[in-house]
Amino acid sequence: MKKNTLKNVGTFLLFGGPSTFAFTAVVLIPFIVGLYLTFTNWDVATNDGSLIGFSNYVDVFHDKIYLGQLWFTIKYVFFTVLISNLIAFFVALALTSGIKGEQWIRTGFFTPNLIGGIVLGYLWQMLFSQVLPYLGEKYGWTLFETSWLTSTGSAFWALVIATSWQLVGYLMIIYIAGFSGVPHDVLEAASIDGAKRSTIVKKVILPLSVPAIVICIFISISRAFLTYDINLALTKGGPFNSTELASYHIVKKAFLSNQYGIGQAEAVVLFAVVAIVALTQSYLLKKMEVES
Amino acid sequence: MNFKKNVVLGICMLLVFSVLAACSNANTSNPPASNAGGSEEGQGSAKKDVKLTFFNTSAEVNTVFEELFKSYHELNPNVTIELIPTPIGGAQLEKFQSLLASNSPATIANLDAGTILQFKDKFLDLEADKAKYEALTKPGAIDGALLDGKFLGIPWTAQGYGLLYNKRVVEEAIGGTFDPASIKTRDDLAALFAKIEAAGTAPVMLHGADWSLGAHYLGLTYSLQSESVDSNRAFVEELKNGNVKLSENPQFTGLMDTFDLLIKYNARKKDPLVADYNKDSADFANGNAAFYFMGDWTWAVIGGLEGRDQEFGIIPVPVSNNASDYGNAQVAYSEPKLLAIDNSGSTPEQQEAAKAFLEWLVTSEKGQTAIVSEMGLSMPYKEVAVQGSNIISEAVTQYVDNGNAMNIGVINYLPQDYWAKTGASMQKYLVGKIDRQGLVDEIEAYWKSYAGK
Repeated sequence: MKKNTLKNVGTFLLFGGPSTFAFTAVVLIPFIVGLYLTFTNWDVATNDGSLIGFSNYVDVFHDKIYLGQLWFTIKYVFFTVLISNLIAFFVALALTSGIKGEQWIRTGFFTPNLIGGIVLGYLWQMLFSQVLPYLGEKYGWTLFETSWLTSTGSAFWALVIATSWQLVGYLMIIYIAGFSGVPHDVLEAASIDGAKRSTIVKKVILPLSVPAIVICIFISISRAFLTYDINLALTKGGPFNSTELASYHIVKKAFLSNQYGIGQAEAVVLFAVVAIVALTQSYLLKKMEVES
Repeated sequence: MNFKKNVVLGICMLLVFSVLAACSNANTSNPPASNAGGSEEGQGSAKKDVKLTFFNTSAEVNTVFEELFKSYHELNPNVTIELIPTPIGGAQLEKFQSLLASNSPATIANLDAGTILQFKDKFLDLEADKAKYEALTKPGAIDGALLDGKFLGIPWTAQGYGLLYNKRVVEEAIGGTFDPASIKTRDDLAALFAKIEAAGTAPVMLHGADWSLGAHYLGLTYSLQSESVDSNRAFVEELKNGNVKLSENPQFTGLMDTFDLLIKYNARKKDPLVADYNKDSADFANGNAAFYFMGDWTWAVIGGLEGRDQEFGIIPVPVSNNASDYGNAQVAYSEPKLLAIDNSGSTPEQQEAAKAFLEWLVTSEKGQTAIVSEMGLSMPYKEVAVQGSNIISEAVTQYVDNGNAMNIGVINYLPQDYWAKTGASMQKYLVGKIDRQGLVDEIEAYWKSYAGK
């Protein structure tokens, strides 16, 4: 018995050890230390971290700008998740129906996901602030005559579009995997029964790929909530700090305004929001899973 | 069930291991503090290998510094210097702070004066070398670099900013030679702008980024109050306490009246916040705008352009219609970056080696050539062996040599986020989202949030 336990521990360490170690070192420990820091008034310059209770959290809820940007972030997440999942779903559908050159198109859609957020942000910034206004002026498209990045409303959509563009490829791969898990006999049976393509999608493919949908929505929610690099490269929070997503605001709060405690407390609040939203949606959607 | 237990056990063991590992790290990674006392004897034998790290916030010249480190290593084989680069306009302060917080600070740091002030306890007091550098530098250069009266950072570059002009464009518009001294008041500038616009060129390029509007333009408000940095600091304190009404402050209202003028004649009128620094600079250099609110650092972009205009100059931003008011004849001038030596985790040998390197950097011909010709910066030193190629900084130097430099040292004492926060307000004003009163309210509210800090 004892020998067996030891052997099991050894097996676990062999396979799960490296990732458990990495997870502990870069996620778990920083998270716990971070949580502790929110109860102190720690600061790099003084390095004095005396406990001050919940006053950082009180400050968070008095920081109207943060609450405003948190709401902005939630709107951004909503549209990003909606748009990227819809596009990814239909692209995946199209790319599993046997179009010629499917593999190449898939690779094409997936490529943006391999580009780092910063590069991608600068790329879109160039498009929105130089290329599109140039074309807009040349052909008289009023929509593009001024840069999209200089007013809050259009900069919001610029952010949504750029993020969705990056996410679509990744989600598409998961959807494709989900679709290929739909058993052929069910599909065949449906078409023998005379179901149209749209009916098959709605009544057969959709219910059977709920697990893929759950994963995709979960991933897109958490990635969109924590967007930082695209925000930094695309809008830098501008115009006039109105497009700061929550993460960006937190980094600026801590490192520019030197309010580390409050910044960290805001990060914990953001974590709570993300956790609640993501877990609720996956709980609700999981209920819709069916067996074929 | 059994499996779960094993998993838990495994995680626990890992936690224990990682904690142990962290402890042992903490014991070994901090030798400077424990060695500080025992290192005296090592100094006698000299030529001990010293490794220095150099934290650089002037990211655009990273490669020039690396070349310098190599040359210095050839001259002094026992000293190796390693660059800790930062991204241009990226997370520089974040990186610096994390190095400090993890007890592995860079030996030498090239930082904004304000950052050094913020972490002043972490840096070496260079009082002993003050007299030496006072003799080397131009009058006032060391005074301008003092932070709370302490000499913590060695100045190595100086910058000036104001309204840059493209000589060809201005002269074509007025049909004769342009004398920059002829613009003494706001009305003079308005008349000139009107002429330039009538000639078919955009009169002025107003860069819409928050750093330009918040730190450089609005920042003049604090420096214009008086010629003394101390009384300017007192003014900012009064702002924080809510005792200053900006709408009744002649310097602020004068500055903003000129801003209205710049907005009216702005080349980027259609979409003022695009703020593409390279494009704005290039358009100015190619003559698409006659004036440009910017500083001599923009030479880094302009200098290498093909087919650009050849002659450029600078005038101060006129802030009133009375030619003798402070600021109408003075160009804003500062030493934005200082070289500081760490005193929180470096050994005395490292500090000595760092001092020797810095002196070599600013006095040797090699160092000066690199700074002046390759980086295109001007040095606030008396004897600079090389002639710079930066026409704009030559123009700034003329103002400085004639005693017409405005000391903007007060900005070193402002909170680190002032440019971002007040810059955002200036952007709103620029696009007409708020009016003058709205701007005053936002700026005053920002300063009041720092009351007592």
